[in-house]
Amino acid sequence: MTATSSKIEALKRQREMEVKKKKNQSPFGIIITGMVITIYLALINYNLDFSSYWIIGILMGITLQRSRFCFAASFRDPIMVGSTSLLKAVLLAFIVSTIGFFIIQLRASVANPDYLITELPGQFNPVGLHTALGAILFGTGMVVAGGCASGVLIRIGEGHAMQLVVLIGFIIGATLGAAHFPFWDGVLISKTPVVHFPNHIGFFPSLILQLLLLCGLYFIADWYDKKNNIMTT
Amino acid sequence: MKLYEKVIKNPWPYWVGGILLGILNILLLFLTGSTWKITTGFLYWGAVVLEKIGLNPADWYYYSTYDHGLKEGQTFFLNSYTVLNIAVIVGALLAVLWAKEFKWKKIKNFKQFSFALLGGILMGYGTRLSFGCNIGAYFSAIPSFSLQGWVFAAFMFVGAWIGSKILFKYIL
Amino acid sequence: MAEYKLDCLFEACPIPLLKALKQLNKMEIGDVLIMHTDHNCSIKNVVEWTKKQGHLIDYIEIADGEWEIYIEKAK
Repeated sequence: MTATSSKIEALKRQREMEVKKKKNQSPFGIIITGMVITIYLALINYNLDFSSYWIIGILMGITLQRSRFCFAASFRDPIMVGSTSLLKAVLLAFIVSTIGFFIIQLRASVANPDYLITELPGQFNPVGLHTALGAILFGTGMVVAGGCASGVLIRIGEGHAMQLVVLIGFIIGATLGAAHFPFWDGVLISKTPVVHFPNHIGFFPSLILQLLLLCGLYFIADWYDKKNNIMTT
Repeated sequence: MKLYEKVIKNPWPYWVGGILLGILNILLLFLTGSTWKITTGFLYWGAVVLEKIGLNPADWYYYSTYDHGLKEGQTFFLNSYTVLNIAVIVGALLAVLWAKEFKWKKIKNFKQFSFALLGGILMGYGTRLSFGCNIGAYFSAIPSFSLQGWVFAAFMFVGAWIGSKILFKYIL
Repeated sequence: MAEYKLDCLFEACPIPLLKALKQLNKMEIGDVLIMHTDHNCSIKNVVEWTKKQGHLIDYIEIADGEWEIYIEKAK
């Protein structure tokens, strides 16, 4: 939806007459669609696990591209232009996934009451100073490079040559990080714990607390967005 | 025609993307038993290059601790991360082609090139310290009820603030 | 009424938005800014931001993956 005016309409009409006929990209779209489906069917026979990764990855790529979802912007826009619409969308995604992850983890813990944290489905890693340090480096790089990890992948698909450079940088950086890992492990990481909330306060309280926190953040983001709207006029 | 415009051509509202991604995130964990991670795949691609030039990254300390190594029957190139990363690129390409909006965008100048490379290296190095990127240490970690995700989120704001300062000063 | 042009080809996010923001601040009410961009995100975040600020905005696709965004400063 746009808010147009007579001046803009006049400019648009004038420009539309000058614009030359566009090339038709549909054949490429059809060819790639065919390839995607063929690969999916082949993977079902060859490696069922890969086929799930493949189809979900495709759907994620489509969703990210179509909604212009950008994690970098969700962090950057509140700081730069006072807009939180993307941050709110990320929070919504978290609310949805929290509920789903909760059910999956609860099922796993009921099936195996003596579980180790790392055996549960989910993402568990030691948390400590290294997490903060890495996040600061990551956040800085994300804004400077104009895209996060998912943004880089999406924009390569959109045809941004610049993001290929970011990807190369990413690979160099990750490799250097892995090469220096013994140092960081010795200084910071090895003594730090994995913190899984349900392990300390139980599954249901964790769910309630996390949902409350996410909803609270959502309302703060909403308020911040509206506040900035009035202040910048 | 109306439906085509709405679904294929015009960008979706952000909240639609948010809800769909939340569902896909759950679906991935449910179907494969593992969470969405991106940068581990990038690291493995780096390892492929190192192997090609005759090094043996698999012997590195990194790959023998914290479950960082390869799963049974996977190589640095052929693994679930590669499949997922390429699928995300192809998915985006598909969406752009359906909307007939694909365009190859060249690198504008040397400045853009250097900041892109620098930003990439900063992000890549950061991910090894924090065990993941904005997906692995954030988008998958927070729903897993792992403190890691919340710490990562808070300090990513600090980083984004520093990045914004750099952007205003040197890039704009 | 004056017309301003802004070339944002090959720029990455958020440069187009920030450039537009800077230019809009210099303009008078009723002036029109024409942005030329090929970043798929611009037609979403520039449109959203300028609408939020109360300016008038519309865009057309002038070639595959290239847009012209028209912004009329309204206040």
